[in-house]
Formats: sequence, structure tokens, C-alpha cells
Amino acid sequence: MQPGSDDLDALFRAYREACRAPEPSPDFMPKLWSRIEARQTFTFSFRRMANAFLTAAMAASLALGVYTSLPHRTATNPSNYASYVEALADANSIETPDIVAPVRLDLSGQQ
Amino acid sequence: MLVDFELIKRAQGGDSAAFNEIVLAYRKRILGTITRLIARPEDVEDVAQEVFLRLYFSLDQLRTPEVFEPWLYRLTVNAAYDYLRKQRRRQEYRMSDLSEQQMIMADALAGGRADQDQREASKTRETVDALLGAVSEADRILLVLKELDGLSLKELEKIYNINENALKVRLFRARQRVLKAFEGVTKRKEPAKAG
Repeated sequence: MQPGSDDLDALFRAYREACRAPEPSPDFMPKLWSRIEARQTFTFSFRRMANAFLTAAMAASLALGVYTSLPHRTATNPSNYASYVEALADANSIETPDIVAPVRLDLSGQQ
Repeated sequence: MLVDFELIKRAQGGDSAAFNEIVLAYRKRILGTITRLIARPEDVEDVAQEVFLRLYFSLDQLRTPEVFEPWLYRLTVNAAYDYLRKQRRRQEYRMSDLSEQQMIMADALAGGRADQDQREASKTRETVDALLGAVSEADRILLVLKELDGLSLKELEKIYNINENALKVRLFRARQRVLKAFEGVTKRKEPAKAG
């Protein structure tokens, strides 16, 4: 015979009778509190580590920001020039002898 | 409600004594639900502690104390889900641990110790556990809450956050699947009796 919905209900009723809630063991609460404390300790140390990391990252970015904002252009470093024209002008200044060399007139051959 | 709203608010404020009172008020009910959900008595307390652990660390997220009970049930359901999923992964490994001879001996030993009533009760438990084990975790949990824990549709609506009609459909389908498994069990028993 095929079991029907009523048979299933009867089985569930019998199960409710057969399967009562167990009594909690005496160490239920102590174990629960020790688990809570263990989780809290873990969370606390993780948070402390995260805070330390965050502080270090902020300090590093601040230092980097200060470093990049300082004017420390040097003539020897070509990367500090704002433009190519500026770099070219600096490399070939008006005083440079090979561009503005003294003009020598050799008049001996004409005479 | 087994506790008043004031107690919940105190626990939310970090009062350990208030939290302790809440656990003491609900632990037996939660242990009962978990016993029916996971069907492994040795792990029931562990899962119940996990429920209260989750409760402790998420109590501040509860906006209104009025929804405390459905919320606690939701935590219970989630913890049971997690346990059952892990259990399913371990199941094959555990079955291979015992030889057939060892299983027969263990059954005989258990049978010898138990009296007639206990044997009947354990047979019923085994049958229902087998039936609920044959369906998905979601079906199992829904049926346990409705049929074995006796929660009303209104209570289930709050736990599952779905409307009554959708819930009825899910319940109907879950029952149909269990009925199918029940038919299978009955069919297997009938030839055994005839033989």
C-alpha cells in the first residue's frame, strides 16, 4: 500500500514524541563563554594588527606626499625640467664656448 | 517570547548577564530544533553554541527586539545549513570507516541495550532521519521547522522573509519529495517482509 499524506503526518507526530529536546550539559555555558572570549581575542588582535597596518600606510603616504610636494629641482637632473625647450636652453647656454665661440679673422693671406 | 524586550536591549548594550539570561531561556528550544535538524546527538551542543556565538556577535545588528525570535531561528537555520553542508562532504569518508561487520555489531549492541519503547522510538527517528536525509538541506530544514518544531506559517514567513503563498508552495513541494522518499522506503520494506 502506498503511504499517503496522513501516514507522513502520523510519522512526524511519532517523531515529535520520540525525539525530545536534550538537556543541556553542565558545561554548556562555560564552553560557550570560552568560545566567545576566544573569538573576541582573535577579533581584538586582528583589529590591532589592521590598525597598525593602517597607521603605517597613512604615515608612508603622508611622507611620500611631503617628499613629492617639496621643490627639489636640480640642474643636473634632466627629469626636473618642465619642458624640452627649458632643458635645451640650459644645456646650450649663451656662455657655452662651442656655440658662441670668439670670431677669429685671419687676414694674413689677403695681404 | 521567552524574554522581554528590555533584556534584549540590555544584552545589545553589552550586558553579559542579560545575554546569559537569553541563552538560558532559549537554549533548550534551540537544542531541540538542532537535534531534529542535524540528527547527530554528539554535535548538537556544538552547533547550538555556534548559534549563540553568532547571536552574541550580531546582536547589535538587530534593529527591533520584536523580531528577535524569528531572527534567532534564522541564525539556527544558517548554522544548521553550514553544519549539514560540511557533513555531506564528510559522509562518504565516515561510512568507509566502519566495515559492514562492525556496523552489524554496533547495531546489535545498541539493540540489546534498548528496551522495546526505546527501540520503537529509535526506529521512528531513524525512519524520519532517513526520509529527511533523502531530500535537500533546504527541504529538510523547512519541514523540520514546520512539521516537527510546529512553527506557524506566520513565523516561517518572518524567518524566510517570503510571503505566505510562496511558502506554501515550497512546503508542498518539500512534502511531495519526502512522500516520494517514503514510498521508496515502504516499497523496499515490503519485498523484505514477503521474503
